[in-house]
Amino acid sequence: MNTLKFKIATPEKVVYENEIFQVSIPTTTGEITILPNHSPLVSILQAGELRFKDNEGEHLMAVSGGFLEIRANNELIILADNAERAEHIDIDRAEEARNRAEEQMKAVKTGEDIDYAKLQAIIEREVNRMRVGKKYKNIKINS
Amino acid sequence: MPVNTKAIKRRIKSVSSTKKITRAMEMISAVKMRKAIEAAINTRTYATLAWDLLVKLAKVKKDNLVLLEVRPVKKLLVILITSNRGLCGSFNANIIKKTAAQLADPKNISRQRVENGHLEPANIVEVDVVGVGKKGADFAKKMGYNLIASFSDFSDTLKLNDVLPICKMVIDEYSKKNYDKVVVAYTDFKSTVNQVAKLRQVLPISELDLEKMITDLGTEIAEKNKITELELDNYIFEPTQDDVLEIILPRLVETQIYQATLESAASEHSARMIAMRNASDAASDMIKELTLTFNKARQAGITQEIAEIAGGAAALE
Repeated sequence: MNTLKFKIATPEKVVYENEIFQVSIPTTTGEITILPNHSPLVSILQAGELRFKDNEGEHLMAVSGGFLEIRANNELIILADNAERAEHIDIDRAEEARNRAEEQMKAVKTGEDIDYAKLQAIIEREVNRMRVGKKYKNIKINS
Repeated sequence: MPVNTKAIKRRIKSVSSTKKITRAMEMISAVKMRKAIEAAINTRTYATLAWDLLVKLAKVKKDNLVLLEVRPVKKLLVILITSNRGLCGSFNANIIKKTAAQLADPKNISRQRVENGHLEPANIVEVDVVGVGKKGADFAKKMGYNLIASFSDFSDTLKLNDVLPICKMVIDEYSKKNYDKVVVAYTDFKSTVNQVAKLRQVLPISELDLEKMITDLGTEIAEKNKITELELDNYIFEPTQDDVLEIILPRLVETQIYQATLESAASEHSARMIAMRNASDAASDMIKELTLTFNKARQAGITQEIAEIAGGAAALE
């Protein structure tokens, strides 16, 4: 079976690196699924869930912002701002972070000087993390 | 009794408690240093990959993007990365000395370090400073440079989110054409005993300096992209090439600044570790010497007492 050399890195570390069979990635132009031997592509990531299959089965990952590159030699590289394996997500912490950001958002409305777009990005990211984390939990309970 | 043994004893006690403190600081710094080095190495992959992609994009078409735009330098922004706290040997002194020397030479500092940069270097450059760490901010104030911002409350384990505000500000200012060049002054971590103060161009994005910064970390850039133009034509860009570039360029700036802060953190901690080790060693020597003096004084005291007793007994006979 054909495989794809997959590497996902954030500025802080390399999150995952292995050979995989297929991967679904959220991009700004919609979700795309990539199989081996895809033609070279460069695209922009969006916050969402990333699913990939390797020889251990399917894995979930929460990503937010960044870009991806498929090279001609069957290599897929994702450079994400944030990326986290679903099993590592702490749902409670994500929820806390979102609540904090939402409170700050309210403060913005009352006239404090906080970066609005940044808060929105944080909320989007945390909501996404929570969603992916919960989904992973459900899958685990059902299986 | 000529020498006061009590005073010497007190002295020994105080020196050994100082030694305990320096020893503890040395160990803490060692741990922090290891963490910072690890983080710097982890960033490397990302930086290299992002860089690879940019090189490819640049081959396809060099667009008039703000962050790549080369202008004659009239106003310069220096991001000066120093530590918040002292007791780290010559760490801050080195970076400040280097920066001051560079700033004193406007011809050199105003040169745009990019290929095909034929712009005449200016003779007078206005310099503004962004201070990262308290010491750098103090230096800028003392030298009379305009300190436009100071960032000093970083956690010990530096995350990318900590430096994002700096990056955002720098990119904004550059896009607004308030500055024609942005450089970062940081300390490159070569080894525990060797750190080098360096200035690197951040904006406009300099292929030369970015490449140097990545290779400085001890790795080769993944063997030069040997793709032909033909292969590049096959690349699909979604949504468009410009959109992709717009996302990737700020990321490169962020990575570069993040890396500089990590390198500096690693250097700071290792400089402190060495300084503290020297202090501990000096304290050990001092304790040794003092103990010797103490023993001599004690012995002298006993000898004198015996002499007195013997003298007294002799007088009775």
